[in-house]
Amino acid sequence: MVDTRISRRTLLTGTAAAGALSLTGLPARAEVNWKKYAGTKLEVILAKGPRGDNLQKNLKEFTDLTGIQVEAEQIPEQQQRQKVVIEFTSGRPSFDVVHLSYHVQKRQFEKAGWLADMTPFMKDPNLTAPDLVESDFSAAGLQYAKNDKGQMLSLPWSVDYFILYYNKELFAKKGVAVPKTLDEMVAAAEKLTDPKEGIYGFVGRGLRNANMAMWSNFFLDYGGEFLDAKGNILTDGPEAIAATKLYQTLLTKTAPPGVAGFNWMESMASFTQGRSAMWIDGVGWAPPLEDPAASRVVGKVGYTVVPAGPKGQYSSTYGDGIGIAAASKNKEAAYLLCQWAVSKQQGARLLQAGGGVPFRNSILGDPEVQKGVKTKEWLQSVIESGKISKLGLPVVIPVAEFRDIVGAALTATLSGADPAAELKKANDQYRPILERSEKT
Amino acid sequence: MTPRQIIGKIGLWLSVFVIVSPAILFFLWMLSLSLKFEIDNAAYPPVFFPEHIAWKNYADVLASNRFLTYFINSLIVTGSATALALMVGVPAGYGIARMAAHKSAIVILIARITPGLSYLIPLFLLFQWLGLLGTLVPQIIIHLVVTVPIVIWIMIGYFETTPLELEEAALIDGATRWQVFRHVALPIAKPGIAVAFILAVIFSWNNFVFGIVLAGRETRTLPVAVYNMISFDQLSWGPLAAAALIVTLPVLLLTVFAQRQIVAGLTAGAVKGG
Amino acid sequence: MRPPSYWPFVVPALVVVLAIIIFPWVFTIWMSLNEWKVGSPTTFVGFSNYLRLASDPRFLESVVHTIAYTALSVLLPLVLGTFAAVVFHQKFAGRGFLRGVFIMPMMATPVAIALVWTMMFHPQLGVLNYLLSLVGIPAQLWVFHPATVIPSLVLVETWQWTPLVMLIVLGGLAAIPTEPYESAQIDGANLWQVFRFITLPLIMPFLFIAGMIRMIDAVKSFDIIFAITQGGPGSASETINIYLYSVAFTYYDLGYGSAIAVVFFLLIVALAAVMLYARQRMLWTEIASDA
Repeated sequence: MVDTRISRRTLLTGTAAAGALSLTGLPARAEVNWKKYAGTKLEVILAKGPRGDNLQKNLKEFTDLTGIQVEAEQIPEQQQRQKVVIEFTSGRPSFDVVHLSYHVQKRQFEKAGWLADMTPFMKDPNLTAPDLVESDFSAAGLQYAKNDKGQMLSLPWSVDYFILYYNKELFAKKGVAVPKTLDEMVAAAEKLTDPKEGIYGFVGRGLRNANMAMWSNFFLDYGGEFLDAKGNILTDGPEAIAATKLYQTLLTKTAPPGVAGFNWMESMASFTQGRSAMWIDGVGWAPPLEDPAASRVVGKVGYTVVPAGPKGQYSSTYGDGIGIAAASKNKEAAYLLCQWAVSKQQGARLLQAGGGVPFRNSILGDPEVQKGVKTKEWLQSVIESGKISKLGLPVVIPVAEFRDIVGAALTATLSGADPAAELKKANDQYRPILERSEKT
Repeated sequence: MTPRQIIGKIGLWLSVFVIVSPAILFFLWMLSLSLKFEIDNAAYPPVFFPEHIAWKNYADVLASNRFLTYFINSLIVTGSATALALMVGVPAGYGIARMAAHKSAIVILIARITPGLSYLIPLFLLFQWLGLLGTLVPQIIIHLVVTVPIVIWIMIGYFETTPLELEEAALIDGATRWQVFRHVALPIAKPGIAVAFILAVIFSWNNFVFGIVLAGRETRTLPVAVYNMISFDQLSWGPLAAAALIVTLPVLLLTVFAQRQIVAGLTAGAVKGG
Repeated sequence: MRPPSYWPFVVPALVVVLAIIIFPWVFTIWMSLNEWKVGSPTTFVGFSNYLRLASDPRFLESVVHTIAYTALSVLLPLVLGTFAAVVFHQKFAGRGFLRGVFIMPMMATPVAIALVWTMMFHPQLGVLNYLLSLVGIPAQLWVFHPATVIPSLVLVETWQWTPLVMLIVLGGLAAIPTEPYESAQIDGANLWQVFRFITLPLIMPFLFIAGMIRMIDAVKSFDIIFAITQGGPGSASETINIYLYSVAFTYYDLGYGSAIAVVFFLLIVALAAVMLYARQRMLWTEIASDA
């Protein structure tokens, strides 16, 4: 496995630099008393993935630093969400620290009061290293982590922007330039599509629910907003219809057959095999795309921001956080762990492995950290996306229903249904659900 | 051999081929997947025999430090749930068959008919209240809703076809119902018990919906654990197929081993029937 | 003196089963009368969750999908399983081994199996379309198109569960006496006639058991559909169980989810009752014809 060796080496050099920085960078006066909770035992429940890996793999360092024992486990995302909710509901969760998906769980967790308020901890110099300040987190991160009273209920851990992956070889062969606007993208996709060769211009999520994450890029670029000032849902307006028409054109005219059932997995299979020229999805796929054991397009992948629409250019943004169970008896120790999870050292490792993007500007913008990132073009697309970041889903409790219902409407347009009619139907179905959940 | 017999032979082998090939092809493909790197697994046209064999797919699964724990958990859960199911289920199947009490059969069936998902939340709350979470007991108990109905249902079928004459004779000789069951009915029903046992083991072994919520870090069963090992962050057909084959291996071995048992049992049944 | 009853044989099993299912049932029925979204307090709402079901297009659609899926997933394995049982009832070299191979699909862990099938169905890269292309059949969309998704899923379900039917029917075949076959051979009956008029009636009880088990499993089928399509494309393969899962475990609408569970249960009971009734009728006609 050539790739792991390389990435491990770059990781080591990168983190050594980052580690040195964070150690020497600390002013001597406000020293965090890391050992204060030595001997405490913490339970952590993580969603499986690079964030969870990155935390679990390096836990020994945390234990060496604090003397706190940590039992962590990773569970596939969907099951982790269920388990967490059921345990919280029972009132006696078995964990102290929880990994959450903001775009799905933020409102639900806030409303139920499941997470402990971290604001006082963050103000306590005995608990918080001076480099960890609110203003270091990106706007999207703070939007996710804070409730409407301004309390920090979690620490923003890793952000997910949607970017455009493209196959440079296929582009060169057809003499196509990297699209800057959505219209150019459609034109490019049409030019690149060659069904006889089994090559398609564009691939992306057609599967209900999952497709919302990609569609929202178009929606935002057409000037769409999810909710009006009164909290009514707006996904049947002209912006949504225009975005859906674009979505329909791309996925019916220039995408592989069967795309209506594609999630990221099938899309990636098509892209890594060099059978699709463009793919819009989350930033986290660079490692498999550049892994010679998994991909036929190593070194041929271009990374760039999602093209602009008539009303602007946005990158749909999603994210993970790490928080403390309100029912935990070890909140301070748990806070130390959360803090360590979003520390410079851990964040640098995450970024350099391509497994996620820290919400903290001081990590992302640090030239030393950037040096350790293998694919510069990818890093550039991440930084650019950060500047045009906008939340990709409405912040409401019934997010899953929203994704399912509107997502099903989008999928229906792929077999020829009319975008306006489908969106209207979906909105009519969703509105009462939203009203029911927000009224109580 | 007459031409008619030859045609019959060809027809038979053709049928066997048609019946068996989907299973063979699938498992060969799965084996192939488990030995390839991802680049070959997603290739088109498909690569059947890879240039480089990815043994690491297996090594990764087995290297998981708790693999043995999970395996033992699975043995305990499936073993207990099956043993308990046979203990209560075989007599129950007998009683229901002899009384033609299909109403109580329905009661038993309710357990099986109930959507598995609707057990999860109430039982989680119940077991938490009882302080049993963190042990294997909740999973053993919930697996009983899978194993008991299967055993009873199979046994009803078998006891309904076993002849009554011997049992009646034994009763006239002054044997109690229990003695008749123990010494007359049970021995005849061995093939039925073998089938019930195998099905109970399979359904219990492969069940993983219950484990998602009820199992913790220490009490996970093998299918749940292996499912957790599968990374959804990238294509991982190789490790997935390797994991699936490893989980399935114990049941496959059981089948091969119990195959003789079933065949022997079935032959006995045929003799009895004739 | 009345002979002692058989109830002592049955009671332990009844106690065990009831002990496990009573609490979940009481809980589910109670919750179905409440509005309870996880994280919010519960409020008693009477039957309004049930009324909501009647006007929920997704639920109604899921009922149709469930019935289509179940009908196919019972019939195909019954037919193929009976055929396989008849074949494996013959004596031939390597029978034990091949029978072992044949039952492997139902041994393997369903979730893992389902994920492998997903990849095999891939319209661009899947091995199924490759195999079709070898014999000149154009590429299919399989689970990636609303019109073919249910049949494709049933294909997996059939592949996996035909062996179960085969095992049960095989047990029935082994119990059939040989005399009728001998006299049929003398009468010059052909293979189909022998099967239709001798074998089939004798294995009927076993087919019923197999059909019943199959029906209950097919209605509740979860692993396969969830792992392969999650109910998609759109909601073309969303069955009641998949919808129930969404409502309870991704929308956390536990009150409404409980109502779906209750209705779903009643639907299965109704189907099972119909089958049991049919079986009872069969038994009576058999006895009548014997007399």
